[in-house]
Amino acid sequence: MNRVWLMVLASLSAATVHAEAVAIVHATAWTLTSDQPTKDATIVIDKGRIVAVAAGAAPPAGARVVDAGGRPVTPGLMHAASQLGLIEVSSATETVDHSAKLAVPGAGFDIETAINQNSLLIQLARTDGLTRAVSYPGASPVPPFGGMGVLLHLVEGGDMIERARVGVFASVSGRTAAASVGSRAAQWQLLRTALETAKATLAAPATPAPRPPDVQALEPVLGGKIPLAISTNRESDLREAVKLARDFNIRVVVIGAAQGWRVADELAAAKVAVILDPMANLPISFDELGVRLDNAALLRKAGVTIAMALQGVQGYNAGSSLREGAGLAVAHGLPYVEGLRSIISAPAQIWGVADRYGTIAPGLDADLVVWDGDPLEPSSLATTVFIDGREVPLVTHQSELRDRYLPRVEAARAAGTQ
Amino acid sequence: MKNSCGVWSGGCLAAIAILTTTAVGAARPQPPFAVDPNPSTYQPLPRADTLIINAIVLDGAGRRIDNGEVLMRDGRIAAVGHGLERRNATVIDASGRWVTPGIVDVHTHNGTFSMPQTSLDRESSDVSETSDPNAADTWIEHAVNPQDPSFAAALQSGVTTVQILPGSTPLFAGRSVVLKPIPAVDVQSMKFPGAPQGLKMSCGENAKSYFGEKHEKPNSRQGEIAIVREAFAQAQEYRAEWRAYSRGSIKKPPPRDLKLDTLAAVLDDDIPVHVHCYRAADMAVMLGVAQEFGFHITAFHHAVEAYKIPALLKRSGTCIAVWSDWWGFKVELLDAIRENAAMVDAAGGCVMMHSDSGVVGQRLAIEAAKAAAAGRRAGFSLPPEHVITWVTSTPARALRLGERIGTLAPGFNADVVIWSGDPFSIYSQADQVYVDGALAYDRAAPERARRADFDLGRPEVGEQP
Repeated sequence: MNRVWLMVLASLSAATVHAEAVAIVHATAWTLTSDQPTKDATIVIDKGRIVAVAAGAAPPAGARVVDAGGRPVTPGLMHAASQLGLIEVSSATETVDHSAKLAVPGAGFDIETAINQNSLLIQLARTDGLTRAVSYPGASPVPPFGGMGVLLHLVEGGDMIERARVGVFASVSGRTAAASVGSRAAQWQLLRTALETAKATLAAPATPAPRPPDVQALEPVLGGKIPLAISTNRESDLREAVKLARDFNIRVVVIGAAQGWRVADELAAAKVAVILDPMANLPISFDELGVRLDNAALLRKAGVTIAMALQGVQGYNAGSSLREGAGLAVAHGLPYVEGLRSIISAPAQIWGVADRYGTIAPGLDADLVVWDGDPLEPSSLATTVFIDGREVPLVTHQSELRDRYLPRVEAARAAGTQ
Repeated sequence: MKNSCGVWSGGCLAAIAILTTTAVGAARPQPPFAVDPNPSTYQPLPRADTLIINAIVLDGAGRRIDNGEVLMRDGRIAAVGHGLERRNATVIDASGRWVTPGIVDVHTHNGTFSMPQTSLDRESSDVSETSDPNAADTWIEHAVNPQDPSFAAALQSGVTTVQILPGSTPLFAGRSVVLKPIPAVDVQSMKFPGAPQGLKMSCGENAKSYFGEKHEKPNSRQGEIAIVREAFAQAQEYRAEWRAYSRGSIKKPPPRDLKLDTLAAVLDDDIPVHVHCYRAADMAVMLGVAQEFGFHITAFHHAVEAYKIPALLKRSGTCIAVWSDWWGFKVELLDAIRENAAMVDAAGGCVMMHSDSGVVGQRLAIEAAKAAAAGRRAGFSLPPEHVITWVTSTPARALRLGERIGTLAPGFNADVVIWSGDPFSIYSQADQVYVDGALAYDRAAPERARRADFDLGRPEVGEQP
């Protein structure tokens, strides 16, 4: 009796954690380990992991079979620089948690504890095939720092924090200048001083008192373990970011890089990755003069690792906007597979999670999406989404509203034909 | 080019009206409500007769013609079909390509949302006059900067007609203007000849939060509607007095009031009304106000909850101008769904896509594609020849230009786009864009595209170093 009960419990818990074994068959699998898709692929997932991927393989006995019918399958998408879980309704400030207003802790401001896993933005993004995201803080009162970002694994109904403190975020721009410390030279100087101070503090003999939060935050940056992500756009600032990476021997990631195409070779040589807005082609600010739709193509051609992030209103469509943006970049010269990589495997590399996610390969997390058409076409939709091996129900606030009001359409149509 | 009387001189406006009406003899002085003191000086670009052949033609009015031909002669569509006589026309082989009418964007802020934005714009943006919730006396054409790069970006994306609306902070935000996004130095030469102005109104969160925060009126939805009703009540009286004066039953016209001019023109149905409105409840209230004062609302813009009231919208003959998927950034946008356009369309309502953004304005067909895709998933049949109407003939009708643009049919203006492929694909681009029969943009000859004055000599805007 007891044993049976325990077995039931064990199987239940297995089901809730990892679900059953699944074989996705007849997939056009963009594994991203190759530049070409694997046709008629069978992808087997079990216990939350990808077990096998092979063309034409028979599904293992007992596995639930999902027939992709030749449609594309990709790993789940990843947003490289989002504010998911930090903004619910941007005009309602009590639902906005992306920035600290206290001067302390500056670079050490850790956004982790603010993430709202029940955000409707996350729910929608998940059904749009987004399975991972980095969320990062906005401006802090200690310019140019914002604080530390967090890597999210968008599992349903559980702890989404995959890794906290994945990077330190800062921002250098004409706009930031007006709002804070003035000249962008002052912003760079503050950034350098913070790094130098942290370096000196870490080199000094340890004291009983804990180190200041900003020093703790910058320690893994100086150790090369996590990147310093700088939101910046102008050519002079991009060159400065390159110098910073060299001078401190740290990993720098640039968010924005509107004028990145002008310094593509320098960025590539310094291994500075870029997270850009692929729809930007209008000079919203003086820092962004000359921004163009082939920015992504030119940067990638030069060898820069690129990922996509669309901000503002598009943040509400964190999943679908990435696909549209990557598609647009492909329309303007980025090779197709690089378009896919820019929203899947490249962000995984940038944020140090490529050993678990970002390609379809045995041993990696079973974050997989079946699409009803080309995933880079905005009019395509995700039909099946697996996160950590579990199929995500495609039910959202929006889908329930749609289903509630669909009958009114029929009623209105009928009224017109009377 | 500017009228020497000055645009802001009410007396001068009245004088023009009196002059023009007394010229016809017996007629009494007519109200100046909808008189345009600065009419279009637009001149078409140099053009040649052109025959496009072998194209997939979506005519904008619901028809698809495979392997079709479009003949443009003297700036007009001369014929659409097969085997057309070419005579002296330049022949363009559009094999594998698609042809549609020029895209019509009914909601842009091009030329007023400055690019680049500067600190100046944060305090004193030209998007709308925000010193008063009633800015019905403002005309957005007085603010438009023709050098705004958004115009060229729109044209290069296949947009041939744009309506510039004032922003939605005031309840009465002012008069709109309809433009052709062609290179120009002054706005008058971009104005669409004969296109009526529109009135932009708003409801919901914007006005009450902006003015409420300043401890001014309105600070509630009911306060907003009170202001709107009071203004229309005054406009009714103003109009009645003008009518009495025109009939000769009183000797003097009422003192000139530029705000009431605009609202009286609405009551005369000379100016179509475009209302920024999100919630179903707010739209229903505004339709009630329109009914009370006897005017028609042409379109609700944004209208994210339109899908909740398809029958009401259909009954009132009010269109919606919407995004495909924007939502959530205000509380009143929380119930936006991607099937909105398709559901209203399926109910028999009138649907168009709008941009409200220089970025989205470059991809209105993609907006339509996304909205249609959501609709198809919900079970609606939405073929490309129908979906294209959302960005062509329907917005053209909303601008009261439905007999001139938005459809490829004989007699219509030759505003035509040749797309590199299916216009609903992200990979397609506008190859050639014709405005009134003139090749206004050619992707094969980018060097011929006029660079903005702002860009000249700037190192950042040049070729890759």
